[in-house]
Amino acid sequence: MSKKVGIPKGLLYYNFYPMWKAFFEELGAEVVTSSDTCKKIIDDGVKTCVDETCLPVKTFVGHVIDLKEKGVDYIFVPRVISVERHRYLCSKFLGLPDLVRNLVSDLPPIIDMKIDFYRGDDFMKREILRVGKLFINDVSKIKDAYEKSLKMQRTFECIVREGFSNTEAIKIMEGEKLDANSKGDLKIALLAHSYDIMDDYLSMGLVNRLKNMGAYVLTTNMIERDKIEKGAGKLQKDLFWNYGRDILCSGKYFIQSKEVDGVISVSAFGCGPDSITDDLLERDYKRDGSIPYMSITIDEHTGEAGLNTRLEAFMDLLRWRKGEIMA
Amino acid sequence: MKITYPHMGSLNMILKTMFEGINVEVVEPPPVTNKTLSIGVKYSPEFVCLPYKINLGNFIEALENGADTIIMLGGIGPCRFGYYGQAQKETLIDLGYKFNMIILDPPHGRLVDFLKELSSYFPDVYWKDALKAFIFAVQKMIIADKFEKKLLILRAHENRAGVTTKIFEYYMEKIKNAKNKKELDSIYKEGLEKLRQNATTKREIQLKVALVGEIYLMLEPFSNLDICRSLNELGIEVTKTDFLSDYLINSAFKLPQRVEFKKYAHGYLERDIGGHGLNTVANTVKYAEKNYDGIIQIFPFTCTPEIVAQGIIAKVSSDKNIPVMSLSYDEKTGEAGYQTRLEAFKDLLERRRLKNIKKY
Repeated sequence: MSKKVGIPKGLLYYNFYPMWKAFFEELGAEVVTSSDTCKKIIDDGVKTCVDETCLPVKTFVGHVIDLKEKGVDYIFVPRVISVERHRYLCSKFLGLPDLVRNLVSDLPPIIDMKIDFYRGDDFMKREILRVGKLFINDVSKIKDAYEKSLKMQRTFECIVREGFSNTEAIKIMEGEKLDANSKGDLKIALLAHSYDIMDDYLSMGLVNRLKNMGAYVLTTNMIERDKIEKGAGKLQKDLFWNYGRDILCSGKYFIQSKEVDGVISVSAFGCGPDSITDDLLERDYKRDGSIPYMSITIDEHTGEAGLNTRLEAFMDLLRWRKGEIMA
Repeated sequence: MKITYPHMGSLNMILKTMFEGINVEVVEPPPVTNKTLSIGVKYSPEFVCLPYKINLGNFIEALENGADTIIMLGGIGPCRFGYYGQAQKETLIDLGYKFNMIILDPPHGRLVDFLKELSSYFPDVYWKDALKAFIFAVQKMIIADKFEKKLLILRAHENRAGVTTKIFEYYMEKIKNAKNKKELDSIYKEGLEKLRQNATTKREIQLKVALVGEIYLMLEPFSNLDICRSLNELGIEVTKTDFLSDYLINSAFKLPQRVEFKKYAHGYLERDIGGHGLNTVANTVKYAEKNYDGIIQIFPFTCTPEIVAQGIIAKVSSDKNIPVMSLSYDEKTGEAGYQTRLEAFKDLLERRRLKNIKKY
């Protein structure tokens, strides 16, 4: 019987799920995901974690508990150190498997694959074999599985660049048919970590709310690399968090190119990297003054009505600036 | 050029000694007070950590006092300290200050490269003078740290409350103004003698607590509401796990301590996660094994590496059967609340000791 690998639907699930799924399935394992985020999952996470932990991590721990209750053979909690040369992720990803192991009791074995491209990709080749050997003892098959998973990731990233959100792209890869980023007429850049905006429960359906109000939503993942690099040219010093850098540099790029009508940044309460990048962005947008900028913070207490009011007001502002609404 | 820098415990003393040794004019940032903090808070991002806010307050106060060049350390992550300087620079520009900011990124954490880069900013200085100034500054730092280590033990035994702190402050000022190594040694000897004279109280139950956590909070007493003093005055001996001299020596000769840390943290945290997360976990294990009565972790509110560590050392606490208390600090300082928690912690530790005595 094939082994069941559980993948928690949190944090980098939204960036790498198709890749991870392909990898484990090629190795002959069955991949199970946790349920969609719900009240119970968040409550479990909040109860288990230290209270100052950020909401996405609390939710992730909730998903791990959900998988534990579902009964799987392994839970995949990667230690994602770096996905680009000389850039890190936030500290919490570096210690994630340790954190999960020490917080949640009676866990099935954790696959703590180290994902580290800080010094290039040699390290990954060894790590892939270590993890692969949990399933089959065939080096060439493991390497094939890895190649296949990389291919899946490239397909996934292409779909996202076409204007689908990460969640939609995952659905498309599972075989669903979806329309691209509908007809919204106001272009809004949603600058945030994918796990803050892609989880519909955490963000209270932020992306869809915006779309329903007539927005064409651009997330950081949809923005082409060369645009981000153009924005990076404006940095005093290269930023060492890759997702934080994507956010900051896309923001800087839009100030130059003026190709969006408004910018919204979303961050989780107490997020370390965002506290710095948000401040820098806000400063830039204030100095420039030509594109409206709004910053939203989410935590486990966020109220839906408050969010809606702010979004409506922001959209009205944009329409008023375009001359569609008379003051 | 009038140079200034942020406060961090005894860092002021060392940098002042060093820059004056190479004839660079220094504008000492005024001592950290509530005013410094409120200025910093006013212009900082809301969720940034406490050290950032205090540093920014230091800069503004020093610039108002006439400084025109700020020296700040950088970093390569993943702790956000590595981008402090850049963000603070933007803030100060928006506030309309005219200044020059030197942000020193430790290239590979090696002291030699670091000094080379530093010297490029001061072209008129002979490296011989610089080296001399640097060595004397380091000597001062080592003596000051040694003196403080003694203080943290002796103050728990003081006969009259408050006197030890006064003696300590008096001699620290003397160390700060010392002109050569000989003077330094005699000040240290005299100071230690004075500390000992006032510390002869003995207790039936003598508690020992190790302080672990984030380095800035550990080094700058203002930021932690002088937790060492509060603990000492409750009669508890304190071991601080980070001192500036240890920190510098370890970043200069990187390896030995890191290997030690990894060994201690093994099974709980398998790699460096930025900031002082690994140190916190390793030190918790280390001092639990040394049979300390309790461990207190201090860190700035929203510090990500320490939050990860906090979750992990809770497990260490139950595995090793040692009480661990985590305290996070931000600008909303309420001294009474923390005092109550420290007193409760002391009661808990004492009761555990009593229980063990009864067993025999």
